[in-house]
Amino acid sequence: MIETPLFTAVFVLYILAALSYLAILFTGQDRWGRIGLALATAGFVLHTAALLVRTFESGHAPFTNMYESLSFLSWAIVLAYILIDRRFRIPRIGAYLMLIVVGLVALASSPLMPKEAMPLVPALQSYWLWLHVSITLLGEAFFAVAFVTSILYLRADSDEKREKMDAVSYRSVAVGFPLFTLGGLIFGMVWAYKAWGAYWSWDPKEVWSLITWLVFALYLHTRIVMGWKGKRSAIIALVGFLAALFTYFGVNYLLAGLHSYA
Amino acid sequence: MRSVWSFFASVKLAITLLIILAFASVVGTLIPQGQAPAFYAARYGSLAGVLAGLQLTGLYHSGWYLALLFFLALNTVVCTLSRLPGKWRRAFGPSVESEPAALAALRVRSRFGKNAPVEEVRKSFAAALVSHHYRVQSRAGEKRSHILAQKRRLGWLGSDIVHLGLLVVICGGIVSGLAGFRTHLELAEGQTAGVPRSSFEVRLDRFETEYYPQGMVKAWKSTVTVVEGGAAVLTRTIQVNRPLTYKGFTLYQTGYGLSWDRPTLEIAVRKKNDPGFVRTVRLGVGEKAAVDDADVTQISVTRFVPDFVIGDGSQVETRSEEPNNPSALVEGWRGPEKIFSGWIFANYPDFETMHSGTTTDLSFVLKSFHGSEFSVLEAARDPGADLIWTGCFLVTAGIFLAFYWPPREIRIVLDEGRERTEVTAGGLASKGREGFLAEFESLMNSLRRS
Repeated sequence: MIETPLFTAVFVLYILAALSYLAILFTGQDRWGRIGLALATAGFVLHTAALLVRTFESGHAPFTNMYESLSFLSWAIVLAYILIDRRFRIPRIGAYLMLIVVGLVALASSPLMPKEAMPLVPALQSYWLWLHVSITLLGEAFFAVAFVTSILYLRADSDEKREKMDAVSYRSVAVGFPLFTLGGLIFGMVWAYKAWGAYWSWDPKEVWSLITWLVFALYLHTRIVMGWKGKRSAIIALVGFLAALFTYFGVNYLLAGLHSYA
Repeated sequence: MRSVWSFFASVKLAITLLIILAFASVVGTLIPQGQAPAFYAARYGSLAGVLAGLQLTGLYHSGWYLALLFFLALNTVVCTLSRLPGKWRRAFGPSVESEPAALAALRVRSRFGKNAPVEEVRKSFAAALVSHHYRVQSRAGEKRSHILAQKRRLGWLGSDIVHLGLLVVICGGIVSGLAGFRTHLELAEGQTAGVPRSSFEVRLDRFETEYYPQGMVKAWKSTVTVVEGGAAVLTRTIQVNRPLTYKGFTLYQTGYGLSWDRPTLEIAVRKKNDPGFVRTVRLGVGEKAAVDDADVTQISVTRFVPDFVIGDGSQVETRSEEPNNPSALVEGWRGPEKIFSGWIFANYPDFETMHSGTTTDLSFVLKSFHGSEFSVLEAARDPGADLIWTGCFLVTAGIFLAFYWPPREIRIVLDEGRERTEVTAGGLASKGREGFLAEFESLMNSLRRS
């Protein structure tokens, strides 16, 4: 099992990246941002390797239980961060995003999460597993970016920062929303239809994805049609990410339903 | 009529409905849906009546939830329709002519002079814009010419296509709800069952459960034959995620069940006085099997229950279909004479309740029991599904257009001036204005120099 040491190395790199980013907040020196990005990127490369190793060892997609999907989600958030950073150069959001990532990886590593790769139950044996889960989690990763930029918007002390955070927040939703709609809702419906013969069953996971989707639909309508920007937009994006998080996490532990995998 | 229209044309209504719908949906995930009344009575006590009255126990199918969806759909229709004609004109039928003053007021604009006659400038600009993938229309005049260049026109309609897609999805949902039909089929090997509302029957030829080495279920494989008018039409093996479609019906493998109607049992006969004596017989319920001993010539089993319990009327019942406490009612025979009868328990081999017959030193042990596995299939016909997929396609395409296919429009007015042509240009974009500004400026620079 080469995956475990790889995963540990990934964890350490992400913690160091988070610390470097935090150093910007305290020292105000931009070089810490470059170091943080380098560490996060190195962690991302190793994380990619760890996911590939797991895929080859288990013979199935690396997101079939909570441990795997937490690992994949944190990978997706780092990917979303690297992409957003290439475009907007905002190391400041790295501090918060990497803290979320470290939290998720810590949760994945905790003894509460069974780590062994289990063979797939019949319902999960489908290529839709790849399409549905990976695209949904990638969409949720961009919602996480919007979440962090919305918090930073609310805490910002200058109009320049506010404008930037508002713009990045919108760009993240503009990427996350199409991915979530396609991967989470549409591919989920297609798969449910193929596996169970019913594209929609009002299962709690389905309903919570719909709620998440409604919140981001609200975000887009208030912003594009009614011209809401700034504070109110930021609050809706916060609520949207929390709904996505509950869809991903809360539903499994608090509500019972069909979607009992992860 | 007018005020009803303007009520439903409001985006504020859409926002209100989105919020109410989101909250209502949350409520439905907090209260378990579609349970028996007794469940709610036990869980919520006197509140159960209120929940039922507000239809919160079947919230997503309740009149008020569907009414919310209906109003949102109506709102979407009216909003989209009231904006569509303008947007359509904007995309496909804008006037080629523009007012120089209006262009000069745009944020993306340019003015310069060109040392060439108007007609020559018009032709060279049009050609240059075409080479930048613009669709160009122009109108030549005596002293003034106009150029209209457009790119990615469908982008204006992205959100309308999303809305159309959502309406198609809702229509699909209505069709599924009204005309969709699904039924549960439980088939043992060799059994045939008619699919209600269809013209055919399904026969299960073979049912097999495959396991992983760790003991988890790997696959349920049902080989089924579709029988129509007494003739076998086709045979196919179906599994979870690999359904079979025939004449509008789709057959899904959903799981398996264990039937205890005709189990195979293995019973060991021992003698207390003769520890070396053991005879094991295999038999089903209602069968007699030979033991070939002078004391007991035959045994028979008259009943089997997988989960033995004494019911309210002190009769034997089964608590579930799970083999938690399997027991069999055994009878022993010496020739034609029944020498005993009683229940034996697989989990409690020493516990026998012998009732009748002569005192005996015989003991019986229920060594093994096998129920027959049956396949659980779902047959469904959903005429709404195609509408759903069409709607989903439109939603996806519309979202892509709305976010990543930003329309561009460049308008140019050419005026004949003294010795040169005066160029006034302006650009319009709904999204990605910064990118467009850069594109516009580099375009204008190349036009100026050309």
